[in-house]
This record gives sequence, C-alpha cells and structure tokens, in this order.
Amino acid sequence: MSTLIIGLSLGMLLFLLASGLTLIFGMLGVINFAHGALYMLGAYIAFDIGRHTGSFVAGLIGATVLVAVAGALIERLALRPLYNRPHFYQLILTFGVILVISELVKIVWGLGYQESTMPEALAGTVELFGSTIPVYRLFVIGFGALVSGGLFLLIEKSTFGMLVRAASSDGEMVRLLGLPVSSVRMAVFALGSGLAGLAGAIAAPLFPIELGMATNTIIDCFIVVILGGLGNIRGAVAASLLIGLVRAIGYSYMPSWVDILTFALLIATLLTRPQGLFFRATRSA
Amino acid sequence: MVAGIKARHGRLLGALAVSLLFATAAQAADPDKFKIGGVVSLSGTYGIFGEDMRKGVEIAIEQRGGKVLGKPIQVIWEDDETKPQPAVQKTTRLISEGVQMIFGAVSSASSIAIMNIAKQRKIPHLVTMSADDKITVPNGSRYTFRTSNTLGMEQRMALSFTKEQKLKRVYGVTADYQATRDSWEWYRREAEKAGVEIVGADFAPLGNRDYSSIVDKIARSNADGVALFMTGSDAVTMVKQAGQVDLGKTRKIFGPVIADETMAAGVGPASIGVYSGVRYHFSVDNPANRKFVEAFRKKYNELPSSAAGEAYDGMAWWLDVVEQTGSWDKEKWVAAFENSVRDNSVEGRKAMRACDHQAMQDGLWGVVEKGVAPAPAYTMKIAKVFPPNAVFDACQP
Repeated sequence: MSTLIIGLSLGMLLFLLASGLTLIFGMLGVINFAHGALYMLGAYIAFDIGRHTGSFVAGLIGATVLVAVAGALIERLALRPLYNRPHFYQLILTFGVILVISELVKIVWGLGYQESTMPEALAGTVELFGSTIPVYRLFVIGFGALVSGGLFLLIEKSTFGMLVRAASSDGEMVRLLGLPVSSVRMAVFALGSGLAGLAGAIAAPLFPIELGMATNTIIDCFIVVILGGLGNIRGAVAASLLIGLVRAIGYSYMPSWVDILTFALLIATLLTRPQGLFFRATRSA
Repeated sequence: MVAGIKARHGRLLGALAVSLLFATAAQAADPDKFKIGGVVSLSGTYGIFGEDMRKGVEIAIEQRGGKVLGKPIQVIWEDDETKPQPAVQKTTRLISEGVQMIFGAVSSASSIAIMNIAKQRKIPHLVTMSADDKITVPNGSRYTFRTSNTLGMEQRMALSFTKEQKLKRVYGVTADYQATRDSWEWYRREAEKAGVEIVGADFAPLGNRDYSSIVDKIARSNADGVALFMTGSDAVTMVKQAGQVDLGKTRKIFGPVIADETMAAGVGPASIGVYSGVRYHFSVDNPANRKFVEAFRKKYNELPSSAAGEAYDGMAWWLDVVEQTGSWDKEKWVAAFENSVRDNSVEGRKAMRACDHQAMQDGLWGVVEKGVAPAPAYTMKIAKVFPPNAVFDACQP
C-alpha cells in the first residue's frame, strides 16, 4: 500500500513536469529540450525566494511566474522566427537554451548543491499502512491532482483553451479570423514554462538542488509525453501515474531493473500504439 | 637504462607513427611552458567536484610562483561530463597539443580510460580523486599515479566502523556500477564473516532521482545500520530522502564516501550524524595544511573541500618531484615519483609505492556535525584516524 502512495507521489511529480512539455509539444509542435533546464531554474528560484522570505508559497508563486516570463521571452525572441523552418532548428535552439540557462545558474548560484527545506506545516510524517510517509509526499499528490484538474478545465472548457486548440489545428485560419495567433502561442509557451518552474519549486524540498537535477527526470517526461499522446492532459496524468507506479514497484522489488522496466513500457507502447496509450482519435479535429 | 634504450628504439620506430613523432618533437624542442592537461567533471553526476579540484591545483601552482623547471605552468582544463567517452576524446586532444602530463579525472571510469591512453602515449597521469582500486594494481600502468584515497581503504574503514558500533543488521544500498558493486561485495563478505547479518541489498541505477521506495523498505526492516555505497548526487539524494522519514534517528547511516561539506550542504539537517570516509579535511592540524587552508581562504573566501585538498596535495607533490629531477624527461619524473615520500603533505606523511603507484597514507573517518562559522553549516568532524597499515594491504610481489 505504501508503494502505491510513493508511486502516486512519483507520478504526480512527473505529471507536474511533463504537463508543460506535453502542452508545448501538442499545441505548438515544438519539442522543447530546454524544459528540464526551466524546471531546474524553477527549483533554484524557489529555493532563493524561500531563503530570503522564509515563505514556501512565495517561492512557489515566484518560480512559476518568473519561469513563465522566461518562457515568454524565449518564445518571442528565439522560437517565433523558427516556426516555419524544419523541426531540427527548434531542437538546436532549445538545446542552446539549456546551455544558456545552465551558465546563468552557474553564475548566480555556483556549482555547489543547494538545499531547500520543507515548509513547517508539511514537514512531518504520517503512519499509513505500516509505513512512515512524509506529509509532503501526500501534498504533492493532492497538488498534482489540483493542477491536472485546473489544466483540463483550461484547455478543454475555457475560451482560451478553445483558441489554443483551434490555433494548433489550423493557425492560418484562426489568423484570418482576426485572432492573435502569435500571442496565443506565446501564452502557451509561457504556460508550459511556468508549469516547469512550478514543478521545480515543488520538487525543490525533495531533492538536492543542483545543475544536473533535470537530466534523468526529463527522459521520463518524454516517455510520459509519448505514452500519453501529444498535448493530451488526461493522457499525461494517466501516463505519469503509470510510470510512477512502475518505478515505485520496481524500486520495491528489483531496483536495478527500474530503468529497463520503464523503457520496456515505452518500447511496448511504440510497437503497439505509436499514437500513445491514451490517444483518442476524435480529439484533434 | 633499459628504459632509455627502449625509448631510443621507440623514437626510431616512432617515425612511422605520426602521433609519436609529434610527441617526440614536443619533447625535443625546449618547451617554453610546462603544459598540464586537466580532465575533470565540470558537469554531470560528479560535476560538483571538478571545479573544486581546479581551485586546489591553482593554489599548488601559485605557491611555487606559477613555475616549474624555470618555465611558467599552464593548465588546460577540459570537462569530461562525468563520462569516459568525452574523457578519451579530450585527453587525446590535450596530448596532441603537447601537454607534459594529464591530471584527472573525477569518475573512475574516466580515469581508467585516461590511464590507458597515458600508458600508450607515455604521458604521466596523476589521479587525485577516482578511488577505484583497479587504477593502482601491482604492475599496472607505469605512467599513472594516485596520491588520494582508494575505495579499498574507505570500505575497510566502513567495515571497522560496523564492528566498533557493534551493528548487528545492515541494509546496503549501492549505486549500480562496477567499482561500487565490487566494494559492496567485499564489505558484505567481510561483514558476514564478522557475524553481521545483511538484511537487504539494493542496487539503484547511477544517477537515480528517487530513493523513497528503498528508504521505505529500510524503514520497515529491522536493520540497525544503513551502508551506502554511492557518492555525489546519488548519496545526497538518498541521505536527504532518508531524512524525510527520520531514518537516521533510529539507524546509523554510513558509507565509504557519502558525506563531506559539499554533499552535506545539499542534504541539509538530515546529514547530521552520517558517517563517512573522508578524503582530505581542512581541520587536519599540521603546518602544510594550515598554510594551504589560509591560501585557499584568501583566494576563494571559502574552506577547501576534500576534492580541492586532494587535488592540491597531489599536484604540489608532483610538481616538487618534477622540479627535483631538473629534467624535461618524462621517464625521469616517473622514476623519481615511484619512490617519492612526502613528509609534509597536508594529510601528514604520504609515501608512493613503486609496486602499484598508490600513495600510502592515513585513513580519515568522520561524522557530519553542525558547523560553527567560518566552517560550513554542516561540517565533517574527524572521528577516527586509521594508520596506513590498517587500511592498505601489503604489496604482493
């Protein structure tokens, strides 16, 4: 049972990180390699704001907003001129963004590990099913569920969401209708980046904050995006939880096989349902 | 003498191999600089250590006025990203640029890769960080030397700690790669011989991000000791997440290299009470160390980490030996270093063994405590010093 809770918390953390990636991937068609770097930036910003203000919530909001602004700038200054070029331009560009962000983090915070403590209210543990579970893990599960619900409503039910979906399926038509496609794209990129920053802020008390913090996690995120289907929020939730559970069960019984299990899941999906496990054919048009 | 004749033959044959020709030409012309190729991790799992090593080396060079054999010293630094492949590429490039020696790397896999190139190209290679025992084996590479700890000495200290604390049941978690697996298997065998029960053993992938499931398994076990055979980000993440359920309150957490000031800074309060082998420590009280710590603080406004101290110590020792030979002949440096003794090392006496090119030295075992300024917030305190014969096997012929 405790494995289930740990799996859910791993999955929700993954969802927070992957949701922004799948949003940008699905709605803009951009494979944003820099997503992990934005996540790391969020963790550093949250840590620093937390250190100076003593407030976890301020760190959470600050990281989300500042990383969203960084995302908007990246989209406006670097990505926008490349939309009509082949995809590999975007890959090279977002890879370059990783290098820029890493250097900035090195200059501002140095190479050493940083440590962010949990907010007092969430620092304790509870006994559940014979295991000691940190309250913070339960918070991550709840928070992840809230964010997924909010995103779902935003994309599927709001006017903004409708505009985003319309712009992603036929940008030219939306533009001819007199709607600001460029601004919508910038907003989507900022939203996706903000989610990466938020994920970093949420992850900060659980992990050491360091330059390499995104490298392994980001691979799992891409797996989530592929399993869940591009731009599919519900798919991303399901895929994240699936990966989280596979990992938690793997760690419990055969830790050295965890990576192999995760990749086996990916390969099996690509062979049988390359459009993603949770892709719905009616969705895109 | 034999080596000299061989070298001359080598030079004749070398005309066939362009690379060797370059190497010989570089040696023959009187160099205007003493060039060192530094291959360290500036990114990746062990990225944190490379920068500190660079700082230590810079102090060693500054303390001798930036010169050796009357020529200015130039270090060309390269980042191997904690991976052997870039380490090989960058070492090869540095050698073609005419470096006199290679310094590095951080990860043992990279150092072993560099060691093989150094052997082929007959370039001296100094290791001050990688601890894999395979780097210094009897009759190993003629050109590679290690002045820092071996994993073997650290695992011996971990075993000795297990016995002293009278731990009955140990749970082991090991980063899944060769050197740590070998080290764990040795510890497991010896601990079982001493009557310790191994109640669990997990191997997590190198660079693992989440240990909460493993921590939960340990918490539900009846272990009274948790042995961690991992280092860098892996150790920081594991100890931090163990702290999230207060694992350290009821169990001794220890390992060959799981804590120093750098790692403890990433863990935070949960690092207090964690035991670990220590490579070097700024608190070691001797004139050489006091001088080094002062110079380091003056230049960088911080206390030297173990990576910085070991790098300084090895490089200062090596450059002194080169100076003493009064020669630009690399073979002479190697021969002189093989039998060199450094009485005034920052860690006390160190003696290079000709049989395996490993420096015999004391073993330091420490525990993390709350630090008082100017020490970092979480500081190692040396709990025990092991004499060399307690942590090294005698050289077998």
